[in-house]
Amino acid sequence: MAQGKAVLVDVTKCVGCESCSVACRLYNELPPEKTGAEKHELEAGQWTVVQAHTVDYKGEKVRRFVKNQCMHCLEPACASACFAKALQKTPEGPVVYNAKLCVGCRYCILACPFDIPKYEWDQVFPKISKCQMCLSRVAKNEMPACVSVCPTGALTFGDRDAMLKEAHKRIAQAPDLYANYVYGENEAGGTSWLYLTDVPFQQLGFNTGVVKKPLPGYTERVLRWTPGIAVGWGALLTGMYFYNRRRGEVEKEEQGKKKII
Amino acid sequence: MSEHQEEKKEITRRTFLKMMAGLGLAGLGGMTALPGKARAAQYAGGYVAAGGQGWLPYQYNVPGDWQAQVRGRVPIDDDNPSIVRDDNKCILCGQCLETCKHVESVFGYYKLPIVDKTICIHCGQCSLNCPTGAISERSNVADVLQALQDKSKFVLAQTAPATRVALGEEFGLPPGSWVAGQQVSALRGLGFKAVTDTVFTADLTIMEEATELLGRIKGKINKPLPQFTSCSPGWIKFCEYFYPDLLPHMSSCKSPQQMLGALAKTYYARRNNIDPASIVSVSIMPCTAKKFECSRPEMDAAARYWNKPGLRDVDYVLTTRELAQLLKARQINLTQLPESDYDRLLGEGTGAGIIFGASGGVMEAALRTAYFSITGQKPPAQLLNFTPVRGLQGVKEAAVDIPGAGTVKVAVCQGMASGRQVLEAVRRGQAPWVFVEFMTCPGGCISGGGQPRSAVPPTDEIRQKRAAALYSADQRWPKRDSFENDEVMALYKDFLGHPLGELSEKLLHTEYLSRAKELKPVTVKIAPAASRA
Repeated sequence: MAQGKAVLVDVTKCVGCESCSVACRLYNELPPEKTGAEKHELEAGQWTVVQAHTVDYKGEKVRRFVKNQCMHCLEPACASACFAKALQKTPEGPVVYNAKLCVGCRYCILACPFDIPKYEWDQVFPKISKCQMCLSRVAKNEMPACVSVCPTGALTFGDRDAMLKEAHKRIAQAPDLYANYVYGENEAGGTSWLYLTDVPFQQLGFNTGVVKKPLPGYTERVLRWTPGIAVGWGALLTGMYFYNRRRGEVEKEEQGKKKII
Repeated sequence: MSEHQEEKKEITRRTFLKMMAGLGLAGLGGMTALPGKARAAQYAGGYVAAGGQGWLPYQYNVPGDWQAQVRGRVPIDDDNPSIVRDDNKCILCGQCLETCKHVESVFGYYKLPIVDKTICIHCGQCSLNCPTGAISERSNVADVLQALQDKSKFVLAQTAPATRVALGEEFGLPPGSWVAGQQVSALRGLGFKAVTDTVFTADLTIMEEATELLGRIKGKINKPLPQFTSCSPGWIKFCEYFYPDLLPHMSSCKSPQQMLGALAKTYYARRNNIDPASIVSVSIMPCTAKKFECSRPEMDAAARYWNKPGLRDVDYVLTTRELAQLLKARQINLTQLPESDYDRLLGEGTGAGIIFGASGGVMEAALRTAYFSITGQKPPAQLLNFTPVRGLQGVKEAAVDIPGAGTVKVAVCQGMASGRQVLEAVRRGQAPWVFVEFMTCPGGCISGGGQPRSAVPPTDEIRQKRAAALYSADQRWPKRDSFENDEVMALYKDFLGHPLGELSEKLLHTEYLSRAKELKPVTVKIAPAASRA
């Protein structure tokens, strides 16, 4: 439980029924689902989508479905980029977003290596929109809504170390079926969502170029000074103002004294 | 001096206020940074209960949790020709899964990962069991309306036997109300230039299918026994998916819908001097799989007959529900319409054709004609009320003594889960039957995936009432055997020649393809249906 909870997605077991995306919308009371091509793209109010890929694999045309949602990094770049602390990693695993703290700067969108957070462009006061991994359920050791409705067992929920073990066990049991790689084990320093597949990950739209080191390290060492600098800079300027003011007053007073003299 | 003192006092107050404002600003800035840390500390201490204590994102700040009965759903492709789903109505109740798994034995009967297509036999039983109406047929109402408005088109309708005992339910009539005549008036009112009857081609199917069966029994046709019926398009796709090795058993006859479609653009066009390309052939069906069937690439006999690529035998299929929508949109009240008769051409039907709509009906109709073909005599009363093959039991078996052919054993199944019992027996070579009828939907076409949702989920009571209406029509019909259909006989005389003749083979028969490459079936252990006969 050191790394919190995780979900293992077995792409080979997905039949593309999209129960997960409907469950997400029902549980989180998200706006009505989009239709047509938009239905399969992450957008504000669409925290998870299932994308179909028809690819050539071993000389045959195969169809695979990939569920997209926030990967819930162990060390999330979005959270480190967020100076308002609206995004935070919880010990349970989910990276949650608190809209009340968000100032709408969109740094998280730029920071995310998986292109997950979406912006409510059509709102007057826009917020960020992304999967919360059903924190209130996960905190009670219940599986997220999407996992709870998967009819084929393509989604499995549990402790991250157990899920990793399970993933490697499945690969070992069927080495002919699975690609020998668990996506999310090391991506961006590790994520709470793990993927198994038979077709190479590159062909299924996965970003395989994500660095294996945790990203916040790069930004945190600079950005952690932000509150200090903001307050300190203000204090400094305020101080200088009073210093200058006082100097002006003293000068004026001395000039007055000279006049009287 | 006093003047100077006053000035100094004023400056002090202003300075004080400015200082307060500065402090306030600094405090605000600090607050944006601090609360997060405080809350993170709260997390480190343990779980925060569902419903939250202020930190949890706003959308979770409600009591209550996920319903226990949420169970997922079946996959439906965006380009499924038969059924569509409105995701905004889906509540993930899992009824479609139950139906697909346990009634039709499709979902869960193929190995994962899937190959390259979503597996669906298009039966539409999920749409009947969906409590919110999220799953429905892919609508062709707009296409048909457009065709009806096009003056250059000759729009021809055919109606399946089962729609005439169910359409009334959409207009408040009790289940099983006979509305054949009103349905014809309604179609004419909508602007259909010809209203033909699929019952006519049901009789034609019997002529072809019974002849084929006798050919197999006598060894004239080198195909195995038992012969399987081929009227139910869902069943055909099921067999192509899961039992491709048994496809030689399948009768080569097209379904009545496709037979009529083929005749409409050949025989009918020729007789009436209509350009076949101007005919829009629309069928009114109780079925969603018919939409898939009419789109099968090989269903273009008219195109091959006229050598005009692009002609489809059946252009559009409307389900019973869609016809009701169309009528309601045009404000036609079915119940207030007079009864009319079908057209003179492609319009005559017998009782044998009518009972095609109920499970066991094809078998009963075929046996009547087979009896006549073998003995040269009209079938006995037993075959005019052949109860062993009627009813809602999953697998039904019967035996008939036909002089000259001995005891003929037959089986009838409804719902593909029941069908598997028979199919497994045939695969093992333990089939005592010569002829087996398969209906994809429990109850047969009368409870097809395109029928009115008069009860959700569909009940046996409604199925029985609709079937009873068909059987009572058969009972009172002047002609009850397919071979008595004068129009069918005229068709053979003027156009087709004889059953299984050259032109018949070309227009009325088809071939099947193995879909073994599209899935890897799960090996199932099903006890074969015990032969009681």
